[in-house]
Amino acid sequence: MSNSNIIEASNLTKTYRKGNVGEVKAVDDASLEVKEGEFLTIFGPSGSGKTTLLNLIGGLDKPTKGKVTLDGLELSKLNEAKLVKVRREKVGFVFQAFNLIPTFSALENVQVALAPTSMPKNEQLDRAVELLELVGLKQRINHLPAELSAGEQQRVAIARAFANKPKVLLLDEPTGNLDTKTGKEILKMCHKASKDQGQTVVAVTHAGYVKSYTNRLLFMRDGKLFSEMPKDEIQEEEY
Amino acid sequence: MISFSYAFKEIRRRKYRTAVNIAGVVIAISTLITLVMAARGWETCTTVPLNSIGTDIIYIYTAPVEPSNKGCYIVNHLFSYPFNQTLLTEIEQVSNVECAVPILMHRSRALVLTGIDPSETQTNAVLPDSVIEGRYLTPDDGYVALVDKEYAILNNLTLGSNVTYAADFEVIGIVDVSSTNIMKSHIYVNLPVVQEILPEKPIGLINIALVRTSSPNTVEQTAAELEEKWPDSSTLTGWDLAETSSGIIQMNEDTAWNISIALSVIAVLFILKSQLGNVAERTKEIGILKAIGWSNTNVVNQIVAESLLQGVIGGLVGCGVGYIFAMYVLSTIGGEIGGALNFVTVDPLLLSLGFAIAIVSGIIAGVFSSLRATRLSPVEAIRKI
Repeated sequence: MSNSNIIEASNLTKTYRKGNVGEVKAVDDASLEVKEGEFLTIFGPSGSGKTTLLNLIGGLDKPTKGKVTLDGLELSKLNEAKLVKVRREKVGFVFQAFNLIPTFSALENVQVALAPTSMPKNEQLDRAVELLELVGLKQRINHLPAELSAGEQQRVAIARAFANKPKVLLLDEPTGNLDTKTGKEILKMCHKASKDQGQTVVAVTHAGYVKSYTNRLLFMRDGKLFSEMPKDEIQEEEY
Repeated sequence: MISFSYAFKEIRRRKYRTAVNIAGVVIAISTLITLVMAARGWETCTTVPLNSIGTDIIYIYTAPVEPSNKGCYIVNHLFSYPFNQTLLTEIEQVSNVECAVPILMHRSRALVLTGIDPSETQTNAVLPDSVIEGRYLTPDDGYVALVDKEYAILNNLTLGSNVTYAADFEVIGIVDVSSTNIMKSHIYVNLPVVQEILPEKPIGLINIALVRTSSPNTVEQTAAELEEKWPDSSTLTGWDLAETSSGIIQMNEDTAWNISIALSVIAVLFILKSQLGNVAERTKEIGILKAIGWSNTNVVNQIVAESLLQGVIGGLVGCGVGYIFAMYVLSTIGGEIGGALNFVTVDPLLLSLGFAIAIVSGIIAGVFSSLRATRLSPVEAIRKI
């Protein structure tokens, strides 16, 4: 783990308008710094603003207030084209609902992340096969998502997130739809891959067992990010 | 190439929507091809029978019954009364009439004899360029005749042979007259000779005036004027002839184009609506693609490529189906004036245009529907269930 920060978020606020409720602050004045190569986990119950925070960090969404700097780039100052480049080259997303394209095979779901790059077609294919092999799905590359188990689908999503060798891996409830055993396998895989490839991982979750794989924990509730908490203070049962 | 490799997969996997989109294009393009080709065939049918003899209007007095069992005056299987040849001068006074040429056409049993004025070499029942053997008639000729090629073959007639129709005639020429020529006869003789030999002795009488107008656009108007001026008379134009011998809807090429363009616009709107539905269905998928680094351009390329491929397939199938339908429709045009298929050939320009319209329809539908996709925020799109 390096001493330099790859992610710096300061005073992030994201407000939504919600029908009769009026304005809702999904993220409320949150600040954090993540070092290069660090595995950071943000705990919090459902609706606490974890996913919104992750979307802001990954440039998928724009903050109402505050700023995010990712690998030296201040995201709010980037135009759409540059944001696309950031999402393509610097960030890999893994979503709770896997978010695979249902009509594409496992292989195509990984290839699709490489499609907009300048990588030659044959290299894209080799890379996709290599990644699926890495997540243990070599034998299932031509299966559609519907033909794969939940754990296998999440592995495909992880392979896709790794496709462009991103500096930052953002995991949004990566184990949310998985049983504990499979969830642990997935986290182990992310942990190993990030360790081997020196990637920074930010995971948001409410599954306590994530603590075994993380370097640092943060806590989020009602959009507010609380100070760093020691690992052993987190009770798995709490969430 | 990001677009086409995935576009192929998408249209293959979304079979129902693809089939619906392609069907829309096929209907529009095949209708365009069918209507335009049929209209051309129709227009050809209306012009060929008369243009081949250099006339625009056939002026006659129709008769309700066969006037005599010794033979009758006919035109295009219609019985007609003879009228005074001097009427031609009056006909030529009618506006837009360039000339009126006398014809006396008589049938006895199955044989048709036509009296012509051989000095009229641009408009006549048989023109000099029809002669394939021997020579054309001259105004000084007496008991000599031109005979139709098929009739000559059937009756072993050659130059110098004799042919009989109320009198004997020496064959001086064999003519090849198209079956589309409604003045087609077995024997052609100088008009004064015919007037002299017929049992009724119709001296100074004719039963047909071939009228040539100054412009094709004035034909119908001139025909109406003639009928108005001589209420007992009838006129036959190319349009009338085609109408009596075919079963297709009558329209000109302009009308066909207008209908086709309207259909093409409907096809574009149809594909557009379908593609918008496609984008709506794939909102989440588009959000995922944007989240993993696809730009708006990539998304637009993808959707346009899919739409374009559907347009290409629809265009190809539409051209093929349209061509087959057009051939079928044209094969129904015929009767005595001959099948329109004889005159209408495949027009590569029309097929190319049909294909181009299909492609443009695909692109327009793709571009418009993809614009909606570009406005989607990845976060909002991913949240869609």
